[in-house]
Amino acid sequence: MPSPHPDHRYRSPSLAASVIIIAVINLLSAGAAWCDSDAARQIIQLAERIDQEIESQNADRLPRQTLSDAGYLRRVTLDLAGRIPTIAEIKQYEDLDLPDKRLQVTTSLIQSPDFAYHQRNELDTFLLRPLNHDREWRSYLLEATKENRPWDSIFREIMTPEETQPEDLRPTAFLKHRLGDLDKLANDSSVIWFGVNIGCAKCHDHPLVDDWKQEHYYGISSFFKRTYRSKKGLIGERFDGKVKFDTTSGESKDADFMFLTGTKVTEPELSLDAEVLKQYQEQIKKAEQDDAAETPPQPLFRPRQQLVDLALSDQQQRFFAKNIVNRTWARFFGRGIVHPLDQIHSGNPASHPTLLAILTDDFINSGYNVQRLIHAITLSVAYSQALPMTESDSPSHGENKLENQSDRGVRYFQHAEPRPLSPHQLSLSLLIATGNPEKTAEQISNPDWEQDRGKLEERSEGLAQKLEIPGENFQVPVSEALWFSNSSEMQNQYLGGGKDHLVGYLNEIEDPSAIISQAMFATLGREATSEEQVVLSKYFEQRNEQRVDTIKNIVWALVCSPEFRFNH
Amino acid sequence: MANHADSGHPKQSDSLDRRSMMRLMGSASGIGLAANMNQITALGESRLNDQLRASGKRVILLWLAGGASQLETWDPKPGRPTGGPFAQIQTTVPGIGISELMPKMSTHLEDTAIIRSLNTKIADHGTAYELMDTGRVKEAGVDFPHLGAILARELGNIESKVPDYVSMYTSTEGRRKGSAGFLGGRYNPMFLTDAMMPENIQRLESITDTDHRERAELRDTLSKLFARHHSHPSFEGHNSAYGRVRGLMASDYLFDIEREPESIRAQYGPTQFGQQCLVARRLVEAGVPFVKVARAWWDSHGQNFETHQELCADLDHCMSTLLDDLKERGLLENTLVISLGEFGRTPSINGSLGRDHFASAWSCTLSGCGIQGGSVYGKTDENGNTVVEGEMSAGDLYSTIFAALGIDHTKEYMLGSRPIPIADFDSTPCYSILT
Amino acid sequence: MNFSALEVSKEWHLQEILFCLAINPNNDQLWFGSSDSKIYQQSLSNEDSERISYGESGHSSYVTGMVIAGDTLISCGYDKKLIWWDTNSHEPIRNIAAHDKWIRRICVTPDGRLFSVGDDMQCRVWDLKSGDLIASFSDHAATTPHHFPSMLYALALSDDGSSLATGDRVGHVAIWDSHSFEKRAEIKTPDLYTWDPKQRRHSIGGIRCLSFSPDGTKMAVGGMGKVGNIDHLDGASRIEIFEIGTGERLQMIEDAKHKGLVEQLRWSPDGKFIVSAGGDHKGFIAFHETETGKQVHVVEHSGHIHGLHVNFQTETMFTAAHQRLAKWSFGQPKETAETTPTS
Repeated sequence: MPSPHPDHRYRSPSLAASVIIIAVINLLSAGAAWCDSDAARQIIQLAERIDQEIESQNADRLPRQTLSDAGYLRRVTLDLAGRIPTIAEIKQYEDLDLPDKRLQVTTSLIQSPDFAYHQRNELDTFLLRPLNHDREWRSYLLEATKENRPWDSIFREIMTPEETQPEDLRPTAFLKHRLGDLDKLANDSSVIWFGVNIGCAKCHDHPLVDDWKQEHYYGISSFFKRTYRSKKGLIGERFDGKVKFDTTSGESKDADFMFLTGTKVTEPELSLDAEVLKQYQEQIKKAEQDDAAETPPQPLFRPRQQLVDLALSDQQQRFFAKNIVNRTWARFFGRGIVHPLDQIHSGNPASHPTLLAILTDDFINSGYNVQRLIHAITLSVAYSQALPMTESDSPSHGENKLENQSDRGVRYFQHAEPRPLSPHQLSLSLLIATGNPEKTAEQISNPDWEQDRGKLEERSEGLAQKLEIPGENFQVPVSEALWFSNSSEMQNQYLGGGKDHLVGYLNEIEDPSAIISQAMFATLGREATSEEQVVLSKYFEQRNEQRVDTIKNIVWALVCSPEFRFNH
Repeated sequence: MANHADSGHPKQSDSLDRRSMMRLMGSASGIGLAANMNQITALGESRLNDQLRASGKRVILLWLAGGASQLETWDPKPGRPTGGPFAQIQTTVPGIGISELMPKMSTHLEDTAIIRSLNTKIADHGTAYELMDTGRVKEAGVDFPHLGAILARELGNIESKVPDYVSMYTSTEGRRKGSAGFLGGRYNPMFLTDAMMPENIQRLESITDTDHRERAELRDTLSKLFARHHSHPSFEGHNSAYGRVRGLMASDYLFDIEREPESIRAQYGPTQFGQQCLVARRLVEAGVPFVKVARAWWDSHGQNFETHQELCADLDHCMSTLLDDLKERGLLENTLVISLGEFGRTPSINGSLGRDHFASAWSCTLSGCGIQGGSVYGKTDENGNTVVEGEMSAGDLYSTIFAALGIDHTKEYMLGSRPIPIADFDSTPCYSILT
Repeated sequence: MNFSALEVSKEWHLQEILFCLAINPNNDQLWFGSSDSKIYQQSLSNEDSERISYGESGHSSYVTGMVIAGDTLISCGYDKKLIWWDTNSHEPIRNIAAHDKWIRRICVTPDGRLFSVGDDMQCRVWDLKSGDLIASFSDHAATTPHHFPSMLYALALSDDGSSLATGDRVGHVAIWDSHSFEKRAEIKTPDLYTWDPKQRRHSIGGIRCLSFSPDGTKMAVGGMGKVGNIDHLDGASRIEIFEIGTGERLQMIEDAKHKGLVEQLRWSPDGKFIVSAGGDHKGFIAFHETETGKQVHVVEHSGHIHGLHVNFQTETMFTAAHQRLAKWSFGQPKETAETTPTS
């Protein structure tokens, strides 16, 4: 809080920090009671199983290094809350002297409103975002993530919205935005829900993967062939319609309703007479064109619903569960246990098959509880490993050796892999980093934080939509660097000198080294190294006359650093 | 992420060109393209850059969005029921006639090859655009790079100070940005829509040039300190993006045609397409390897002939001026100018005197770099309904483009463990129109 | 005329696109110009008789306009030529390279002068007998404000032959003294241009026809209204009526149900009604009250109508359309002919 006395224009940073700590202390205590529960103990056990399995594959005894408290907090806050931690959160965590403080902080984060929002953003990016930004759909996802809706329920709601929530059009977006392209609908569904990219098996049996034949491609397509959307926005299925395809030997075939595991669904004979069928077909056609038309009847045999039932049946559910477990793992490690993520097949074995099996079993037994899986992962020692050491730090020298180690280290999860922030993570973190840290800390500790987080999401949307969604081989595009370097939003809004901004806040502090220290904490969540202190102090000294601009430029340089851009 | 075979890994040598390097890395374990790409960034590029710079090949794509009519441009059928009202004019190349709507191009064919035998089958805008801008049929689950991204990668310089893929598309209809697909964001286009100047390429007045430069240096210094303990190709890619900012800013003048002499601007004429062609010339002159100028929208379902009178006048003038200008500057030899859309138009004329979508027998042109000028490839029947000679697919066209530029069309990118040839499987360059 | 009883009484189906037609004063012969570059003569006294095709050495592109003067037929086309034909021998008498670009329309005065307009933006006057060029004048810019080639589509003569009107693609109409060729007035109809500055960056419309009121004081202008998607003739058909003396617009008539271009306009002799014809993929003929702009009747036609002949005395009409020639009457029985071979 700025002092009204002109003589006390500059405040002590340590005082500021202590004020913040008092303000946010409740955050950590929120989950304290839960940490003693059975559920917590099971999660801790699962985390231990993860570490046993990871360790068992570390035959080379690769050197490992665990993150510092501040490093862990930054990583886990980005991963669970979708934003960087505030200065206050870091100080508080560092000062906390408890053996289970990771359990405490992960629990608090998972229970915080931030988690549901972040989880929503992640799901949206995974399921729809590259195709469309759909606000209604996002509100549906938020509702689901707030109550930790089980993954099988979400699957059902999205893939058969007409069965689960006929009045609610929001979950139809997944199908709606893909309905124009059967190939895309079928392959996206296969990739997203089952981790199987069958695109390559369209024109011939998959050239590299024995598992995937043309029959699989058209088998999956068959389940979607009859799906239509009425003008009103309701999803339905037609009474007839088969996928036909030409085999490589030139034979024309009707595709079976066949799941990726080879299991087929037999369609019962349609017991409608031709007149009635024709009438229904016309009714459907009308419903597709006219929003006043009445909703056509549903056929008894509905292939898309059959697919969902089949995928969740006792015999097939592991296939379905394994994919989301693998994808969730990859979110936190930058790499799947089976990798690439859309290549789950016999020719591409898991790096840690037992681990994948343990996690899949637990996931199914816990009722498809994504939150539990995430919690266990973030509590594992494997998750808290640092980036690989570079040559100068590494005990063993020699380029090849280092790279081989590094490669294996990534493959066997012995150390961390930097992960680019998602558009939302970056946009939100930029808002947090460049905002007034005291005000932000106060806001987060406030009971209204859930609402404020919603507002923060809105504010982050503009930039998030400009940024590229990181894919498998993400490279920071130059358009992003140009935006950070030259956009008026960056210069005038994020780096504004007013009291709501970090620049204005730092400008109230007298001592340059305190400014540097606070700027480092606000942006990178750590103290400046002595080298950085030297560089930044020198920069400060050289530009004594232009104090605000100097601070702006320092903050800019920090938020434009690779250290800020990645989760590491 | 590194990508080394455990044994027999050859030492990088001065003579190692990019292609063989890609092969080498592609043949290593299936870490995937990301590793390859980053590796390229990570390795000392200067030797490679010299070679790439020396090649100096560039491409201007005149994208006739919506689908121009082959009958009103390169493959007229005068006097046939499908021919429409326009006459055919003799060009300066004996034996080659084109539509009278292209009078200026009729005297500029010495550097141009006309392809009259595209049969690309797909005749809806979205899918056909994907086909013609990637050279292959879309495949669910694989994000293919667009032509500009492939050529930015093949012809560009990784640390180029100028942009390497500029795409202009002002009209809103059919506007699609184009994507680098699995090649990654490094090769995304600098995309110009409403304004002629790219976004965020100019320094704000509120920051001085010294401050702008010094803060970039400060950022760089801090990044280097960080890299001492945390070296990773991803971080280097990030630094490389920032490293290009000042260079790109310094290239803002390339987009400013006010800097051209009045006489040159007058030659290109007052239309927006003309002005954008002039920007394209300025860009390739400065070393930008790929520029796309989209002229939309040719989709003449109604009043095809009136529409082509308008739009062909623009195309004829701008294309001939561009070829002249490139030639006078000695650039045409190394610059391939392509005129292409997503498809052509039906020979049959509909009730609104329009022509509809048609992908079974249509035309495009290639001029300049590597092209045997004054040639025609392929033939359609007397009414233009089918290809009767030299049928060419999108993949074949891509192979031909790559071959004209000296790029091995059989080259493959590795997507995970899957090799993806830069031109589609089973495609062949059309050697008869290549030098 | 009983408009509501209008129907096709005879229809000829063809492969070609028909752009114009002319009928002799005896009403027993009809000529039409076609996309196959030819002129055909159809007997109306024997409607099922074979058509006569005119000489091979005629036009080399679409035939877009024709007038009949005694035994002579004069035609124009996109080949930039005016051709005089002997209707007895069916052979050309004279062939003139009359314009530098497409010729869109021609008309003839009772005192024997022929007017033509073309995309070189010139209105040219010819001696009907000798074929000599009498004058060439223009009030129309060669390029549109957006730097594309403009087109001079429309031409009309007042009933007394004293005034002439020309109309172009961007919506500019000039009214001329038909003897001195001095401009007497001008009219602006900018909406008919249909320039799309944002989505597609070209235009599709223009003034496609003009017609003087019988007393010569008013001018009807035909074209198409605002179009969302200019890939198609997707705008409402549109007629605007102006007071020539003041330039004031008296009526703006749009029919959103009948989309496309108004290609032809004719005032009724009493000046109370105006007949319009045109279309998009299909065609229409509409009747409007000139005082109120109210639509009295409209009929649809299976082909876009390019040419129209109305005979108010005999109460018959003829249309030249996309692959169709039709005779219309107000209440007579309909008879459809199959494609008859052209000779």
